[in-house]
Amino acid sequence: MIRKILYFAFTSLVWADGIDYNAAITVNYGDSYDFYSYTENRFDLNLFYNNVQAWVQYEYSNPPEIGFSINDIRKFRIEYKPLDFTIKLGDIYEFWGRGLVLNQFDDQITNFDNGTRGLFLGYSKGPFTINHINGNTDIWQLGNDLRIPYYKHAHNMYANQVQYELNSLSLGFTQLHSKETHQKIFGEAFVNHKLNGIYASWTGENADLFLEYADKKATEKTNIIENIPHDTLKNGYGIYSNLNIYLGNWGLSTEYKRYAFDRGYSDFTVDDYGNQINFQTMPTLVREQNSTLMGRVTHQYNYNDERGVQFALNGTLPNGYYLLAQYSQLSRNEEWQSVTSINWNGSTIEGYLPSSDPSAIPYWENYQEMNGYHFDDKLYFKLGRGENYEVLELMRYFEGEGESITENWVYTDSIEWDNGWFYTDSVLGSIDASNYSIEAKLWQESRSITFPFELSYTFDNGYSVGLNFEYQERKIRNVTRGNATTFNYSDSTWLLVNPENPDTSFIVYDTQFSDGDKQYNTQFNRMISLTLSKASNWSVTLSHDQTNAFEGQRSIDPYYNPLEALVYGDIKYFTGKRDKSNPPGFIQKRWVSVKIDYSLTPSQRISVQYGSIQGGLFCSNGVCRIIPPFNDGLTISYTAVF
Amino acid sequence: MKKYVTILLLLTGVLLFGRESSSGRAIPDLKIKLLNGKQTSIHDLLKDGPLLIDFWATWCKPCKKVMKHLDRYHQAYGNHGFKVLMINQDTPRSLGKVKSYIRSKKHTFYVGLDPNQETAKKLNGQIMPTLILVNRDGTIQWRHQGYVPGEEVEIERQIRIALGMDIQSDSPDS
Repeated sequence: MIRKILYFAFTSLVWADGIDYNAAITVNYGDSYDFYSYTENRFDLNLFYNNVQAWVQYEYSNPPEIGFSINDIRKFRIEYKPLDFTIKLGDIYEFWGRGLVLNQFDDQITNFDNGTRGLFLGYSKGPFTINHINGNTDIWQLGNDLRIPYYKHAHNMYANQVQYELNSLSLGFTQLHSKETHQKIFGEAFVNHKLNGIYASWTGENADLFLEYADKKATEKTNIIENIPHDTLKNGYGIYSNLNIYLGNWGLSTEYKRYAFDRGYSDFTVDDYGNQINFQTMPTLVREQNSTLMGRVTHQYNYNDERGVQFALNGTLPNGYYLLAQYSQLSRNEEWQSVTSINWNGSTIEGYLPSSDPSAIPYWENYQEMNGYHFDDKLYFKLGRGENYEVLELMRYFEGEGESITENWVYTDSIEWDNGWFYTDSVLGSIDASNYSIEAKLWQESRSITFPFELSYTFDNGYSVGLNFEYQERKIRNVTRGNATTFNYSDSTWLLVNPENPDTSFIVYDTQFSDGDKQYNTQFNRMISLTLSKASNWSVTLSHDQTNAFEGQRSIDPYYNPLEALVYGDIKYFTGKRDKSNPPGFIQKRWVSVKIDYSLTPSQRISVQYGSIQGGLFCSNGVCRIIPPFNDGLTISYTAVF
Repeated sequence: MKKYVTILLLLTGVLLFGRESSSGRAIPDLKIKLLNGKQTSIHDLLKDGPLLIDFWATWCKPCKKVMKHLDRYHQAYGNHGFKVLMINQDTPRSLGKVKSYIRSKKHTFYVGLDPNQETAKKLNGQIMPTLILVNRDGTIQWRHQGYVPGEEVEIERQIRIALGMDIQSDSPDS
């Protein structure tokens, strides 16, 4: 009730004298044939009066595309900036350095929100800046459900920053302390996090440099009696550096990172806590792709245990063509060995660079792009090529020595019975031991190559046509390599597949792509979209997405919609001779949609989309999310700013 | 029920704000950190003439397409006091790429940094690209969301109106 009164009080200020304001309405609606429905309505209001600024966001979403249903004030903030001071009360979003200690944002596409509801105090005079944040943050993570969050991580935090800037130099110190109630798969954990960071930057005419280091300690309250000291849980650190060099209209960007807040050979789950917390959203060192197909195969970032390098060279040729070449390589901080099938040992990778050994779960990617204009800037083209490789999962990885023991028994006593001799006693005559090499490895790897292509032409009358085409080849396979596959606990050794000949080694590739019973070594993806637009008024885009195989279970399109029939020229559909609830087989591997964007006024825009969209991996702001498929449905988006 | 709430909100928006209702409203004097490390404010940039603000990011395809034209207008109408301020919304994690991209394209307009979208939220510029044309007196003349090729003609027309120039005559750089 108090929130609603606050909201109406804010809103009524719009009519007060001397107060400037702006506002925005966002409406998102979606409804698909297979019950993927959402309704999101948000109203943002900003007020400005002298040194006071206020922001309130009201949301009615039931349900949103991702997240919890809400009919309330979602966010608010009041800011007061007298002279050199800044005071903020409400929902605080700050970032310090490059985010190794604190980087807060609200991304509704991935439902990631690590803002603090509380107080911000800032003082800035000359080269000095001092900031303080104090408040509470609830950060939610998805569980099995792809749309409704399940795990809650509640932080009671405070953080401080001191920064000194002198000409082209900048030096900052950061500190963050949080008491977290961490929801596990079963129960809760109470964890204290202490982070300390330092960063420095230098900006020159032809180069700039940034360095940041963060140290983190976590302790866990394992006893309900307050007097008992908390147990040390995890210690970790993070390093990030960025050097940019500029020469004319060419730039070379180099980055190095080393995040070691935890260690592991597999994915981290909610039960791995005390490591990186969600206030820390740091540079990822992979390219944020704006190609749909490349976005689906991007690396899922690991802020806990990863090191890597990235290089990007870009520049413009004399004819105006823009060129970009990028390369990055990452791996975990350790190479892992499965001593048994469940016990793993890690050994730190020597030096500073990432490893390419599969046991370090490596990833690399490279991307090249050229784009430019022709015919008096009327024709635009873009050609790209992206390739990546990643070890997705490590199931076993042992390489070492094995010993085979053969016991030679000698019979010492026997009896005769029923015309035969039977041995009744024996002694161990000798033991033969032989050593041999064992290699028992199994991992899953992914490899892809993608070619995005774009072409658009603008006519003098304001019309323009565009073509987007993306082609991708992708392999995901399990690799079994070596001469052993099973660990024998009674003998404490890996069992040879061929004990008679220990040197017999093999390598087997097992593809993970299939369509029903048929397996495919390579997945081929093609995406094409055609756009016709009239400047400042409208645009229509027809998109066609196609694959030949699926990883794991095949997706099911439950309905044969008229757009699909129209695109494939199926006349029988329109004469009523098709069963719409029993789509033809080829539809299951194709997704067709049409989207109309219309500018009602320069500050009002509506988008209507009909058809099917293939889901998949989507990453935004360093946070990744699996988007479920949207089949045979309608989406409407409306935005207005006033 | 929820479907009707959505339709009601949508219709309310269209009916209430079906005209360019942000026109004439004053723009707040927000502080902007520039790519070269210096600090400025929106009102400082308005001292010599109109200002066109655009929100962009390195991963935003239409943003990059409109930048070419905005830089052309920044240079062509610069001697009339007109300026373009491109406010970048790349996250702190990818700030290193911004300067490299701008220099490689030889863009000369002002580039502001807004890595946690604080300025974008205050000016409702979270949809990219969003263009806000501000008159010298600080009032908003025109707003526009999105970009499709060909819209640069209307952008230039609005700039010329803001400068009090004849909208029919050729642009200075033609």
